[in-house]
Amino acid sequence: MIQELSNTKGEMMTEIPSAIIRGREKISGTISALTGDLAFPETAYHLPITYAVTGREVHTADAARTAYEDSDKNMLIGAEIVVAEQEREISEATGYTGFIEDALIRKLGYSLVDGSILGLCLILGTPPSADTAAAICRELQEKLMLTFLCGPVITVLTDSGVKVDLSLRLIPLGATSIKGVHFADILARVAMMFGGVPPGDVSRLITYAAERAKAFVIVFPSLSDEEIAFVDALRILNIPIIQVGGYEGGEWLLSDPQTAVSKGMELRGITVRVTAIPIPMACSPAFEGKSIRKEEMFVEFGGGRSPAFELLVTRPHGEVTDGKVTLIGPDVDQIPEGSAVPLGIIIEVAGKQMKSDYEPVLERRIHNFINYGEGSWHVAQRDLIWVRITKEAVANNLKITDLGKLLAARFRMDFESLLDAVQVTLITDKDAVTRALADAEAIYQKRDERIAGLKDEDVSLYYSCILCQTFAPNHVCIITPERPALCGAITWLDGRTAYEISPSGANQPVEKGTLLNAVSGEYEGVNRFVRKASHGEIQRCVLYSIMDAPMTCCGCFEAIAMILPETNGVMVVTREFRGDTPFGMTFSTLAGTIGGGAQTPGFIGISKSYLTSDRFLQAEGGIQRVVWMPAHLKEEIRVKMGESFHEKGFDTLFSIIADETDAVTLDELLTYLESVSHPALSMPSLI
Amino acid sequence: MNYILPHTWSGSIQTVTIGATKQEGGTRSVSYEIGGDTDLPFMNRSGKKPLLAYEICDDTAIWPQVVRDAMPKGISDPASWAAYGEKTLKPDCIRLNLTSTRKPNSSDFASISATVQSVLAATTLPLIIEGSADPAVDSEVYIRCGEAGQGERLVLGTAEADRYRSVAAAAMAYDHIIIAQTPIDVNLAKQLNILLRETGIPDNRIIIDPYTGALGYGFEYTYSTMERIRFAALKGDDDLAMPMISAPADSLTVKEIRESDSPSEIAVSWERATAVASAIAGAAILVVRHPGTVLPLRTAIDALWEGSRREVSDGA
Repeated sequence: MIQELSNTKGEMMTEIPSAIIRGREKISGTISALTGDLAFPETAYHLPITYAVTGREVHTADAARTAYEDSDKNMLIGAEIVVAEQEREISEATGYTGFIEDALIRKLGYSLVDGSILGLCLILGTPPSADTAAAICRELQEKLMLTFLCGPVITVLTDSGVKVDLSLRLIPLGATSIKGVHFADILARVAMMFGGVPPGDVSRLITYAAERAKAFVIVFPSLSDEEIAFVDALRILNIPIIQVGGYEGGEWLLSDPQTAVSKGMELRGITVRVTAIPIPMACSPAFEGKSIRKEEMFVEFGGGRSPAFELLVTRPHGEVTDGKVTLIGPDVDQIPEGSAVPLGIIIEVAGKQMKSDYEPVLERRIHNFINYGEGSWHVAQRDLIWVRITKEAVANNLKITDLGKLLAARFRMDFESLLDAVQVTLITDKDAVTRALADAEAIYQKRDERIAGLKDEDVSLYYSCILCQTFAPNHVCIITPERPALCGAITWLDGRTAYEISPSGANQPVEKGTLLNAVSGEYEGVNRFVRKASHGEIQRCVLYSIMDAPMTCCGCFEAIAMILPETNGVMVVTREFRGDTPFGMTFSTLAGTIGGGAQTPGFIGISKSYLTSDRFLQAEGGIQRVVWMPAHLKEEIRVKMGESFHEKGFDTLFSIIADETDAVTLDELLTYLESVSHPALSMPSLI
Repeated sequence: MNYILPHTWSGSIQTVTIGATKQEGGTRSVSYEIGGDTDLPFMNRSGKKPLLAYEICDDTAIWPQVVRDAMPKGISDPASWAAYGEKTLKPDCIRLNLTSTRKPNSSDFASISATVQSVLAATTLPLIIEGSADPAVDSEVYIRCGEAGQGERLVLGTAEADRYRSVAAAAMAYDHIIIAQTPIDVNLAKQLNILLRETGIPDNRIIIDPYTGALGYGFEYTYSTMERIRFAALKGDDDLAMPMISAPADSLTVKEIRESDSPSEIAVSWERATAVASAIAGAAILVVRHPGTVLPLRTAIDALWEGSRREVSDGA
């Protein structure tokens, strides 16, 4: 590839490995002849690279030579000594910064921590043309990078009218490319000032440079041997070296000048933050709670009135153009007011950290983001969505494509570290929606299967959820593959994803630890976690039991399961069920009694899907214990389980579980249970 | 009444040093170590007395009316205000609130450095600075605060969950302490501390501001959040084991003051009562704005602490 380049374009190629060897020799030669004192001005870090790497406070040529030899001829140290010698008399010619004093480094470091600078780039060598160099610098400026320049590239830029100055985020270090050393001494000082890296601790310096200092180098042709040896040594600090031609061999990455910046930023995981969304509609979490009534509505999508769905999928990096929005079908100007229109929302994302496991979690955020729009509204998920846009928004010139812009921008903003690119396709053409919906259904199903097959014993970590501690201070949910959070909104996979996306958030991994009781689901690690997370209030949390130290209840549970001692069974009542229960209390009265983070043996808050899990009340005999549940819940489960409802034998069992049509009072229930010979009656006593 | 309640906690509150004397590289006449408590306030050992900070500002336009009315004559700038505070009210520290940065399109950043320097020159007490609250100017404001106070170990506020980077950067670049404020929520307080640590701020440079609602207007939430933060810390949660600061500024704008015939008296009572309650909940620094509050609050705190010590020794 490189060989071809030199043949077709006839450029001179420098062979990197041999240049490095020659460069090392030249630098060693220069150092062996040095005498006198060596120091940079206005710094407490001596020769900063030498200090960071060796811990030695070098001020003389003799000490420098010893440090260089003892470091096994580290080229960063070697180049620093050479530059210190060059700058002994005068730091740099006019128009160049030379060595940058500590006070300014503090400011630059501030901007890096502060986020007003996203990363650092060093450019050196002789660019093929002024335009090439100017385009690279402009891109770096636009992407909030701080750029250091050294060597001929500076005069090439200034001669063509490009201004270079710290205020423009283009810093001219020196007239020769070896002055790139100052880039490395800045990194070394930032690591010591901000990273708490002790002088002489090379491994921490390397870690800091790799993880915190987001830097890369772009090399133009014609570096000298010494310069090549120095630049190559920057790789020790995990700094990628990107060459745009002119070199062969070695470990430098070849790139087109046009893609050099994005390649460097991608390699260092630097993403540009979006700040304002260019659409004619206010967009803020403040609008999230509003709803759009029929009279205010210009157009609606889904909600049973037209087919609609949403889908978020991960794609390889090259396949997603960040910010691209495509509309297939008519926009609002071709849609009659008050109509119901089909809608497909397809969000394609790419990101080095992104995993397909995250898709459902991110997809749920479409709901929030569309609701952030002042004139847009969204409910439900997947192929059940319902979206509306107001007349007012359309009057303000809002287009359907603007919803796409909103989504693309918000995803990039809120998942800055996760996503590098987001593109949105909106479909309003009926046939196209129908076709895309079929593909989406297949993906939904695959996702469901992924969690459906997962058993508690397959994983070593469970996840906690303490989101509700804001109002239930000691409540801790433990989420396992077979027991979702009691609100029904967070599965084990979601918990894991939430933890990966936000490692300091409300979902934390829970080591299961020693299994204390396989049947009741008691783990030493879970107990330990719950004890700490409940601030010492809860000593044990037995996962599959309703009687022995059951999980606490916040208040968000989809349903309540509670024992009815007279029946030796358990009744289940859902949040939607408004009527009286055989216990004599409604759901809301019961919820008020058991919520708030309390552990109440005999009562648990559950998600609906936990009911059909093999782990449901495993300690007390499972679903066979259920003697009563609302009719709507039976139907919901039957529909949701499909084939497996019969396979699990639920059709027989559910036919003898009473509902409100069979029994409302305890007496009626007892009579009913005896008439159907409910298994709970003959099971071991609950109490 | 006996305050001895046997309980063994596994954790303790982190110590944080604020202000720097000449020996410590600054110019303050005193520096303080706050935190270090190993129990609830008033339990077994009464813990450290909270510090009192008197708060001034550089633009009184948004300062509570009742405080403006009570300001002594002849104060024309933050420096003379700070000097008056130190001399007359004898607080433990001064808090400078850079209210000028709250004006729309504020951009006079040079004057921020000058203001901070003039206040540092006018008082020998450790300085707490409350900076901007707008991401658009935060970066410019905090770098100037940090730079102007280099070496003085300022307490810089305020970091919040969605805008903490500039304050954090200034604290890191110029070795200051940071105030981490969350809206009366123990989980968010924990999360913000973790975020700050990830930025590179050591635990002993963070002070928690749990946000102080006015007495009668939500203070009970603050109280219970402070209690929970302290409990969590004592039970070994390092993410919450930082000392707390409480600024009951909201208590100066309650309806009862506006409607009163003697607003100043009511304001002092309200601010003092809220601050005393915060002290009982475990605050290490109490910040007050009304000049009339400082001395009575000092009396109340002294009485509480000396009183409790007597109780303990009597009981023991």
